[in-house]
Amino acid sequence: MSGLVKEAGYVHGAAVIQDPTGLHARPAVKLTKSAKRHGAEVEVRAGEAGNWVNAKSPNAVMKLKAGHGEELQFRARGEDAEAAVAQMVALVERDFQE
Amino acid sequence: MSESVSIVIVSHSPQVARGAADMVREMVGEEVQVAHCGGNPAGGLGTDVMAIKSAIESVYNQKGVAILVDLGGAETNSEMAVEMLPAEMGERVVICNAPIVEGAVMAATEAAGGAPLEAVKATAEEFLS
Amino acid sequence: MKTEFLRAAIARATETMRAHNQELTELDQAIGDGDHGTNMQRGFDAIEASADEISPLDLGAALQKAGMTLVTTVGGASGPLYGSLLMSMGKAASSEPTDRASFAAVFSEGVDAVKRRGKSDVGAKTMLDVLVPVLQALQDDGGDAVAVARQAADEGLESTRNMLATKGRASFLGERSVGHLDPGARSSALLVHVVCDLIEESQ
Repeated sequence: MSGLVKEAGYVHGAAVIQDPTGLHARPAVKLTKSAKRHGAEVEVRAGEAGNWVNAKSPNAVMKLKAGHGEELQFRARGEDAEAAVAQMVALVERDFQE
Repeated sequence: MSESVSIVIVSHSPQVARGAADMVREMVGEEVQVAHCGGNPAGGLGTDVMAIKSAIESVYNQKGVAILVDLGGAETNSEMAVEMLPAEMGERVVICNAPIVEGAVMAATEAAGGAPLEAVKATAEEFLS
Repeated sequence: MKTEFLRAAIARATETMRAHNQELTELDQAIGDGDHGTNMQRGFDAIEASADEISPLDLGAALQKAGMTLVTTVGGASGPLYGSLLMSMGKAASSEPTDRASFAAVFSEGVDAVKRRGKSDVGAKTMLDVLVPVLQALQDDGGDAVAVARQAADEGLESTRNMLATKGRASFLGERSVGHLDPGARSSALLVHVVCDLIEESQ
C-alpha cells in the first residue's frame, strides 16, 4: 500500500495495475465514476513520464492506455481530496472489483 | 438521490440497439436510465419515429436525455421525434454526434456523476477528437 | 371535387410507388442501402389505407395527415423528409391555393422544410435537385405551369446522375456515387409527374 503524500496543495497516491490487459475500458469507466463521486479536483497519470489528466473525464482516462504492471499515480486537491485519492488507490489495488 | 441525464440509443438494427444498451448498463451501472430502439415500423432494418419518441419519454427526466444514433436515417428520424415532443421536453433532449456504442458508454459515464446535459453531450462527442 | 381529387391523388401516387418500387430499390442499391423502394411503398400503402379519412379533409389538413403518416411508417430518412415536405405544405395551405403563385408559395414552404430537415440544398445529389428546380420553374411564371414543372423535374433528376453525393449514405461512396441517378430525386420526380398528370386531367 503506497501511503498518501501531501505536497504543494495536492494529496498524492499510486497503485500498480494488476489486470493482465491493463486499464481497459471497463476499469477506466469505474475509475472515472469513482473520481466523480468527489468534489476534489482529481488527476491521474500512467507512470512518472505520463501527463496528468482529469480523472473525471472518461475520454482522458480511456486514452491513458496504461498497461499491466504500470503504476497509476493520482493527485487531488480541494474538498475531500484525501478520501478521493484513497478510494482511487484502493480501487486499483483490488483490481477494480466492486 | 439526484437524477442523471438519461441515454437513448437509436440504431437501424434492434439487436445493435439492445446490445449497446446492455453494454452501457454493464459497464456504467444502473444509475443511468438507458432506453433503446431499432428497426423500422415493419420490423426490418431502419428506425421508427414513434418508437424513438416513446423511448425518449420512457426515460425522460428534468436533467434531460442524450440520444446516440448510427446511420443517417436514425439521426433524421430522431430529430423528427424530438420535435414531436412537447416543447419544454424537447429542449432538454439532444442528439450526440458520436459513434453509437462508444458515445453511449462515454455519455453514460459522464451522466453517472450527475453532469448536466451539455457536459454529457460534449463527453460523447469528445471521443473522436 | 376536392375530395375526389385527393382520393385520385392518393390512389395514383400509391400505384406509382408500387410500380416503381423495384426501380427505386435498384437505384438505391447502387448508392444507398437499398430500402428506398420498399420504404416509399410502405408509406404510401399506409396513406392509401387512410384514404377515406384523408380525402374529405381540407387540403391543408389532408397534407398534414398524409405527411404524418409517412413520418410514422416509412422508417428511413425519406419518411421525415417527405413527411416534412407535406406537413409544411399543409401548414402553409390554410387557405387553398387557387393559382400558380399561391401554389408556389405553399410548395416553397415544403421545400424549405426539406432543406432544414436534410440540412442540404441543391447540388448534393438528393430529392432537392428535383424539388428546387420545380419550385423555381413555378415561381418564374413563364410557360404552362404543368409543362414547366414536368420539364424541371426531369432535368433536375437527370442532373443528379453526374453529381457527387455529399449527403446521406450515398456520400460514403464519394466518387463512386457519380454515374447513378439519385433514388430520392427519382421518387420526387415521379410524384411531381403524378400531380401534374392529375391537374392536367382535371382541367
